[in-house]
Amino acid sequence: MTHDRWSRLAAVARRQGVLIAFVVLVSAMFAMTSTFGTYQNLINVLQQNSIIGIIACGMTFAIILGGFDLSVGSVTALASVVGATLMIDLGTPGIPIGILGAVAACLLVGATNGWLIAYLGVNPFVATLGTMTVVRGLIYVATNASPRFGVPYSFTTLGLGRLFGVPNPAIVFLIVAAALGFVLHRTRFGHYVYAVGGNPVASAQMGVNAARVRFAVYVLVSLCASISGVILVGQTASATPQAALGYELTAIAAVIVGGAPLGGGRGRMIGTIVGVFLLGVVANGLNLFGVSPFWQPVATGLILIAAVAFDGYSKRGSFGSF
Amino acid sequence: MEGFAETPDALLRVQLVSKSFGAVVALQDASLHLPTGEITGLVGDNGAGKSTLIKIISGVLAPDFGTIEFLGKPAHFASPSEARAQGIETVYQDLALAGNLAVWANVYLGRELTIGPKILHILDKRAMLSRTGAMLERFIRNVPPIAEPVELLSGGQRQVVAIARAGAWGSKLILMDEPTAALGVTETKAVEDVIFEMKRQGLTILVISHNLDQIFRLTDGVWVMRRGRVIGYRQTAEAHPDEIVSMITGAAASAKPRA
Repeated sequence: MTHDRWSRLAAVARRQGVLIAFVVLVSAMFAMTSTFGTYQNLINVLQQNSIIGIIACGMTFAIILGGFDLSVGSVTALASVVGATLMIDLGTPGIPIGILGAVAACLLVGATNGWLIAYLGVNPFVATLGTMTVVRGLIYVATNASPRFGVPYSFTTLGLGRLFGVPNPAIVFLIVAAALGFVLHRTRFGHYVYAVGGNPVASAQMGVNAARVRFAVYVLVSLCASISGVILVGQTASATPQAALGYELTAIAAVIVGGAPLGGGRGRMIGTIVGVFLLGVVANGLNLFGVSPFWQPVATGLILIAAVAFDGYSKRGSFGSF
Repeated sequence: MEGFAETPDALLRVQLVSKSFGAVVALQDASLHLPTGEITGLVGDNGAGKSTLIKIISGVLAPDFGTIEFLGKPAHFASPSEARAQGIETVYQDLALAGNLAVWANVYLGRELTIGPKILHILDKRAMLSRTGAMLERFIRNVPPIAEPVELLSGGQRQVVAIARAGAWGSKLILMDEPTAALGVTETKAVEDVIFEMKRQGLTILVISHNLDQIFRLTDGVWVMRRGRVIGYRQTAEAHPDEIVSMITGAAASAKPRA
């Protein structure tokens, strides 16, 4: 085996590492258990990962920008509580008002994040940790920490219904991923997200309004979280103040596994989608093999570390000394 | 002004510009002009006010007092974008390019070509890719691969791209703050070749450099600054490095030829 061929293989592995891992994993799952490939199970995987997937699509922008957003879990819960409350109080005609109210409340949080980070220069970790805590606290205050039941049953079409056999949440995920993938990779705004993430100073010198790009990205992340929160209402016809706890870390993990390192400037929407389903299929696999669900965060954490370590190793391999 | 006969064809004229930061006077009644089509040097010790002056010309800072004339008309640049729109480009010492973006994307950064509905601003990557080569070839002999991320290029290639980008946009005046400070000998040569090519094509260039050898290689004339003032101009061909050094340090009276 020549050195050249090795380095070419290494280059392919580096660029497509997650995809290769995903294909290997899915093939192994098909081979090892007949349950995995059943329609019902594949539907389950789609159903279970769409909500986190929608959040991860927004998170991809924040991470490429060089930041991240810890408030998405709280914002998802905010959307579901606000949406469910309006729908319960107003009944079936209140459904559109509930959706609009949920989105508006979340955009307010996103605008706060964006303003703190883009215009006041607050570190994204601090700013979004702050709003994450404040928003969750306000939800507990407003609901007295008790769930809201009684959303019109028709609304569960969104969360539990199917179109051509595909769960509606998965269709929403597909639409969000396609739309945001287009924005990220084809439009000037997406291009500026990469530019500001790669070199904010140079971007500003060339006339890119870096603050406006940052602001818009954090609003976009909250918009995605609000969509997930509304779907959550559609899955249960209710809202729990404790909903979506820890979603921020799962979403960030999916984006990083998908090849967008913290630090910014890199990543692709398709990588995020693969990252979401890689973590999702592992969780599903543990479940199918009867492993306790307590092992799931262990697996997620190990995959995250392995992905980042592989990324670092393959970079040293290609630019390093040997 | 000592050493400079008023020329009518100055592209840019800075007149009696002053700038203070709190109690610190960075520029005091600084005046200079840049002859059209020439490479002009700007030298001075650290803190002499060179960078402040270049920032005022490029619209990063506003002067407290004084005026700037560009193309014979009074100019007020509220931002670098306004100066750029008038044809004044600045090449910074570093940080000029986004390493994760391809060469073409850096060349078009802030000026992207778009297609389709206006509100979407869809990038016309094909057009930008196909035009970047010709834009850079105008000044560079060996254009680096334009689809590669800039971070894969050498420091010299990056600076060559940054300078060629500044010249590629129909600009008239290029301001350079230490364009070769971080580069080796061969890379410095490549950058200087680009600067000469720009002059050949009629651009006017202002170079800040601490490297007097470089100033004497590159420039037609040189302005000297000391402690916030512009103290003199010399035609490079008629000047001697020792004289410039003594002007920079303020040792003019005691400067003697070495034994």
